[in-house]
Amino acid sequence: MAPNHEIDVKELLEKVDSGAPLLVLDVRNDDEFEKWKIEGRREFKVAHIPYFDFIEDEQAAAQRLPKSQGEVIAVCAKGGSSEMVAEILRGLGVPTRNLVGGMIAYGEYLEPVQVAVREEERAIFEIWQFNRRGKGCLSYAIISGGEAVVIDPSRAIEIYQSFLARAGARLAQVLDTHVHADHISGGPALAAKLGAGYFVSAGAGFDLRQRTSLLKDGDEVRCGKTFLRVVATPGHTPGSVCYLVAERYLLSGDTLFKNSVGRPDLGGHVIAWSQDLFRTLRERIAFLDESILALPAHYADLSEIGAHGVVSATLGELRRDLPELRIAELPSFIEAMTRAVRTPPAEYAGIIDANLGKTGADPDRAVEWELGRNQCAASAGSRDVRRR
Amino acid sequence: MRKLDVRGAKCPIPIVKAKKEVDQMQPGELLEVISTDPGSLPDFKGWAQTSKTAVLKEQRTEKEGAADLYIHILERK
Repeated sequence: MAPNHEIDVKELLEKVDSGAPLLVLDVRNDDEFEKWKIEGRREFKVAHIPYFDFIEDEQAAAQRLPKSQGEVIAVCAKGGSSEMVAEILRGLGVPTRNLVGGMIAYGEYLEPVQVAVREEERAIFEIWQFNRRGKGCLSYAIISGGEAVVIDPSRAIEIYQSFLARAGARLAQVLDTHVHADHISGGPALAAKLGAGYFVSAGAGFDLRQRTSLLKDGDEVRCGKTFLRVVATPGHTPGSVCYLVAERYLLSGDTLFKNSVGRPDLGGHVIAWSQDLFRTLRERIAFLDESILALPAHYADLSEIGAHGVVSATLGELRRDLPELRIAELPSFIEAMTRAVRTPPAEYAGIIDANLGKTGADPDRAVEWELGRNQCAASAGSRDVRRR
Repeated sequence: MRKLDVRGAKCPIPIVKAKKEVDQMQPGELLEVISTDPGSLPDFKGWAQTSKTAVLKEQRTEKEGAADLYIHILERK
């Protein structure tokens, strides 16, 4: 197939976000389409006609395509069936391109966005937020004085590698904020590949088999001319930490999101972990300055992406906007968290074991496990459940 | 019963081949399709719902060593 009959995820999302006229034709089966689909920062036209309807009767299937200006982009799970449909449609005179790699590529795509820092900080360090649009996962690179620290990397580590090579930065350390349940961490693999240290804290009750650096609450991780400070924030998991960059930017992991806090029920100990989370919010987070910018590890909805493409909020804004931060009594907090309990996706147990280093992350299974958006927030429950 | 072995083939190949085969069969004739693609389970079901020639009689999963095989039995209308 000629390359001009293809489109990659980057170009598709740029088009969708800019409001360019196009029609996304999703050719997967009904279940797959209902569970998880391409989302943009602006509305765009979507049609759903399964590829097997084109195999059965291409003319009849093509007639169901809504009239649209602009081109058609065919999408399926891996890019094979949509390639066939795109070819059929072009044969019928409908300009159509195929999304290369399909939803798998969409789920792995990372968009690097630079976080604006203060003028006096610009000469010292850069912060990059990698937005994994298909899953709502955020990872980070701090770059300073030719060194880099990468936080919460996704499985597609080549993207960070080439980013660091272009930036001319040596990877000093890879950090996870916690043992993730919704996606396979790229941390151990990235650290091993580039000869850097790796750190994650699992906390009590977990059989962590990854080799990790020894870091504890209050320790500083050097990155060129700046540093990150470890802030222990148990709650979402017993070992959860945040990293405070240059005392001003809080990589808040799954402890604080823009629209909620991290759910404390994934381990099946909602009361004990809610107590931890309450103490973290009241005794740790509450004492950090309101001007500190929280940079979370997830978002639940594309509307959380700000004007400059970054997902962030100051602690002052979060204190104003998040009901969970205003609950002053432990029993009410536990009650609110218990109300938000819902069954975690079945894949999460396997992902946790892989991230603990107990099982290898078989690439095919990892792809299956990671389909769909994250479900790590406590209050965004109803919204996420509907989506899945 | 006719057999169609599409082990290792990814979508859309299993249904493309099954449709070709079914279209050549006599009404009432059966076809067993053997696939290694787990996505073939919902996809054969979806296809059979609209197909003018194929009826899905049975679907099952069998073990072959460490691999799963997905078996679809189709009947020509």
